[in-house]
Amino acid sequence: MGFGQFLAAPEIKLKLITYRDVFQDSAKESSRFGEEYEKLSAVIRLDPKDISKLAIKEGDTVFVKNGSGKVIVKAMKSGYEEPHPGIAYMVNGPWSNALVPDDTGGTGVPKFKDIEATVQSAKGGKVTGILDIF
Amino acid sequence: MVVCLSNNYYVCTGCALLCDDIEVELEGSSLVKVHSACRKGVARMKGCETPLECAVNGKSTDTDTAIKEAARILSNAENPLIFGHGNSSSQAQRKAIAIARKTGAYLDDTSSFCQGPIIEAILQGKLRTCTLDEVKDRADVIVFWGADPSSSHPRHMSRYSYFPRGKERQRGWEEDRTAICIDVRKSDTAEICGNNGTYIIPPGEDAEFMDALVSGLSNKVPKTSFDFDKKRILELTNILKKAKFGVIFAGLGLVYSLKDLEPLFALMDKLNSVSSFHLIPMVGQYNMRGSNHNIFEETGYVNRVKFGTEVLHGPEYSVVEALKEKAVDAALIIGSDPLSSLPLSVARYLTEIPLITIDPCQTLTSSKSDVTIPCALAGVESGGTAIRMDGVEVEMKKIIETDRLSDEEILTRILEAL
Repeated sequence: MGFGQFLAAPEIKLKLITYRDVFQDSAKESSRFGEEYEKLSAVIRLDPKDISKLAIKEGDTVFVKNGSGKVIVKAMKSGYEEPHPGIAYMVNGPWSNALVPDDTGGTGVPKFKDIEATVQSAKGGKVTGILDIF
Repeated sequence: MVVCLSNNYYVCTGCALLCDDIEVELEGSSLVKVHSACRKGVARMKGCETPLECAVNGKSTDTDTAIKEAARILSNAENPLIFGHGNSSSQAQRKAIAIARKTGAYLDDTSSFCQGPIIEAILQGKLRTCTLDEVKDRADVIVFWGADPSSSHPRHMSRYSYFPRGKERQRGWEEDRTAICIDVRKSDTAEICGNNGTYIIPPGEDAEFMDALVSGLSNKVPKTSFDFDKKRILELTNILKKAKFGVIFAGLGLVYSLKDLEPLFALMDKLNSVSSFHLIPMVGQYNMRGSNHNIFEETGYVNRVKFGTEVLHGPEYSVVEALKEKAVDAALIIGSDPLSSLPLSVARYLTEIPLITIDPCQTLTSSKSDVTIPCALAGVESGGTAIRMDGVEVEMKKIIETDRLSDEEILTRILEAL
């Protein structure tokens, strides 16, 4: 355990947008309780500047939380050429759905692609398992 | 229209493209190879590694006992919810509607928080549409709006929308087709459309971008509050104006961004006053559109209904609001996993009420269910019909035998037991 463990990790506010991925979807077809599905689902894709702000390296785990829920997922670079600080992407699945607010304004349609959340280093914490999301 | 298949081809139920050119190899009664399908389709057709077990309260049992218990739960409930349907044949969907009618249930499907509004507008004649076969043969301007078929429907562009050489598009994508992507990010589909064909807009600003396109198509200056390059908007409106057969593929990015469909109606009206445009929803689950058609035929609504002395309809009867308001006291889930696909804050209530799951595979929802009834995998172990994303009916054939009943048979027996 290093000195860093005692410092408060920087926390940033982000807008999360969900998307589909055929590799993750295929893994779900095989087994939604499998390692591959977790590996491809429990990921947040960030702008490199936001990774720097969080004082983490690509591949580290982060807490993503808001008033609806909290999960630990792996932080990766989005890979998009255009910078998008303040906006992060998560593939649609139970991990992102843990963060979707229940406030629909009575429309019956949750905001799956417009989620406010804060992100902070999980300091080596383990990715939330699918059965631990509840 | 029913698409008839030759004896050697099968239909993939991986998504609502319902690809009907699938060949398989069998070893005994097992399907060992799937040809032509995409990665997702192969995974679907080969079946999951974790099949669902027949159980009541966590204890293994026979199908008869599980069906009786399911019927008992539904009979005892005052306001049961019957939800799912997107991964069921049309025949099974009609049985589910009959159960809902008999039990005075809330009936909703995944389109409720997906493509429902677009399909409803199409069925009501408010949006001009066409078939994927017409797109293949005739479309010269193809717009993917908030849609990423490269990831969601991997064979969409190669079978129908961009790459094939159709009857009137013999020079193919290289010369005969223009693909446009409008999205909040540079998706895999945007990479195919290229920098010139890709329009990245800020999240939630789709309605304003539609208004700007209407202005451009009306020869007015296309202004946006996010200062989108006017020259690029005018380049796009010029392409749209010249389209001989245009099509917009509406993805969830577009659907979720709009508060209502008025901006889309205005854009489609304008497009059809200057050229010729159609719209097809990018439906995900293989027969979600079929569910909308079947519920529409029975009730006049595509989803979100409550049966009683009369059929009630509205957002308050949607799966999301019904669970949020704790208005239902039991649930039957067919071919769907709401604990995975709904916000956890909404879906958690399902774990507090008697819960029944019918599915070929274990799901998060089945892991919390009081009754689990395994069913045959549609398109592989059972047949029936389904409706493709463009409204075309497709017939699915059984490929291999199984001991498991089809969802249609299970629902028929629940209906009889009620």
